[in-house]
Amino acid sequence: MKLASHYNKASVIISVSVLLVSGLIYYLIINHIARQQLDNDLSEEVEEVIAYVNLNHRLPKQVEFDEDLTSFSKTQVNQYDTRFFDTPYANTKENKTEAGRAVSALVNVNGEKYIVTIVESREDTEYLIQIISAITLVLTAVLLGILIITNRFVLNGLWRPFYGILDQVKWFNVADAHKITSAETKVDEFNDLGDALSKMSARVTTEYQGLKAFTENASHEMMTPLAVITSKLDMLIQDETLKPEQFVQITDIYSAASRLSRLNQSLLLLVKIDNNLLQDTEKLNIKNIILEKAQQFHEMIINKNIQLDVKLTDLEIHASRYLIEVLINNLFSNAIRHNKNSGDIKIVLSAERLQFQNTGDPDPLQQDAIFERFYKGRSSDGTGLGLAIMKNICSLYQSDIKYTFKQGMHSFCIDFFKNT
Amino acid sequence: MKLLIVEDEQTLRDTIEKYFTEEGSICEVAGDLKTALKKIAVYEYDCILLDIGLPDGDGFAILEYLRTSGKNECVLIISARNSLDDKIKGLNIGADDYITKPFHLAELKARLMAIVRRKTFGSNSLLNYNEISIDLLGRNVTVNEKVMVLTKKEYDMLLYFIANKGKVISKNAIAEHLWGDEMDMLDSFDFIYTHIKNLRKKLMELSGKDFFATIYGIGYKFV
Repeated sequence: MKLASHYNKASVIISVSVLLVSGLIYYLIINHIARQQLDNDLSEEVEEVIAYVNLNHRLPKQVEFDEDLTSFSKTQVNQYDTRFFDTPYANTKENKTEAGRAVSALVNVNGEKYIVTIVESREDTEYLIQIISAITLVLTAVLLGILIITNRFVLNGLWRPFYGILDQVKWFNVADAHKITSAETKVDEFNDLGDALSKMSARVTTEYQGLKAFTENASHEMMTPLAVITSKLDMLIQDETLKPEQFVQITDIYSAASRLSRLNQSLLLLVKIDNNLLQDTEKLNIKNIILEKAQQFHEMIINKNIQLDVKLTDLEIHASRYLIEVLINNLFSNAIRHNKNSGDIKIVLSAERLQFQNTGDPDPLQQDAIFERFYKGRSSDGTGLGLAIMKNICSLYQSDIKYTFKQGMHSFCIDFFKNT
Repeated sequence: MKLLIVEDEQTLRDTIEKYFTEEGSICEVAGDLKTALKKIAVYEYDCILLDIGLPDGDGFAILEYLRTSGKNECVLIISARNSLDDKIKGLNIGADDYITKPFHLAELKARLMAIVRRKTFGSNSLLNYNEISIDLLGRNVTVNEKVMVLTKKEYDMLLYFIANKGKVISKNAIAEHLWGDEMDMLDSFDFIYTHIKNLRKKLMELSGKDFFATIYGIGYKFV
């Protein structure tokens, strides 16, 4: 839930409860005042009755007291406290029963004791209370509405720079040159946040660029000494006085030099993919590339007596030919290199998915670690960068690569995001 | 053949010079852009081996110079950068081929021979080596006027060995030539052995002599 919603929720709950409680108190007070007013009226009526009796020495006729119902009943009690109570009021004019308030008191008429009861309609005060309650409710509703709307608009407006910054942070990528910029706002906190983030992003980007430039330069600088080693070896083997044992050692040096050179090239390729430097995209038919590569790897497949089973449908994507070839190349070379003799390779290409399955090691690989740089399997003699390169190529083209192990088959599955 | 090697790394320059110097070939060297430009202005070369990263400027300047002065030397770029942009740039402004460091001298030689041959195709597309005659346009090989049928790899290998005749070539160099460096799975050299065996047999059948000498533990020599 958003901060604004949290705030909105809290403020609405508090406002509603405060308004309800105050409404209730308001109602009780009004009710109390109205009742007291009624009771005062009734007391006056009783006094009027008593005054009438004292003056005329007889009970008044009922009609002489306007709307109120007055009744007298004879009693033997000498002591009777005047009391007020709620009772129904029979409205004879409108022929209905309304809520009423009554008073009963003792009247002494020429030595005879009567209890006088006066009932007054409460209709008017009830009506008043209803009106007041209605107004209170309407006001509450309007207030709430206004509160919610202002919260929404004012808060959204206030938080807009924050979301602007957040969006930039979300899309921030150290690899591209785009920096986080802070727009000037009225809120100091957001200004500080924007400034801090823009400084941080600038620093991170600079350091990342420096690191990349270092990787690239280091890799390039290593190429010349490697060329010296290789060419010196090429000259050395021309010497016919060397013994076979020495040649075997020279072969090992050759292999180490070429491995170092491949490692360097892989590192450089990773830097290039990270920097998105290979932007020569064209329309490629994955099926054709797989068939070409299958041809290139034919000898190695035959040599290991591997059964190759391909099911391919046409799939066209826009990508760099070089990178897609590297990708397919790595898939093939892994499937062959880590295969057993007389094993199987199954390649399935559908409209969105490419799957390479191969037999090999009976145990699954570490699913979460294999795409890490320099991860190497138990029997791997590669650079340890092949899978990292594949992963990076896939993410460059918004595709997903996953490893699974089922029924003795190691499977690499690429879901192509078709950006054609 | 007259060659100019433009390379700032002295050891590499000397090694290339030594490998390329043979009967009928003259190698000259330049360690920087200034010397190279001076030599190119005065002499004619069949081919220039050009390192792009030079201490006093980049090698593209030499390509520009060749183009503007209407010279027709073959240029083989040697670069430490395996960058597509550099490659395209180089080839666009007149280089004939591009090779990335590190490389095998045999590969360099084969590439150089290929571009020199391509430049002089106009007059003659036939390459003769002893009894072997290769029609480079039609990719036909005859030995003692008898047609020899070769697979693509065997044909590539034959050209490669002829370009490096008399030199010991390591299995590593042959593997890289045949499969390129992207196939990093050639720890077993069985494949090379099979191809060489086949080519050797075919040549023997038609010429009656063995062109290959096996140098135990390291590779082969074409004689």
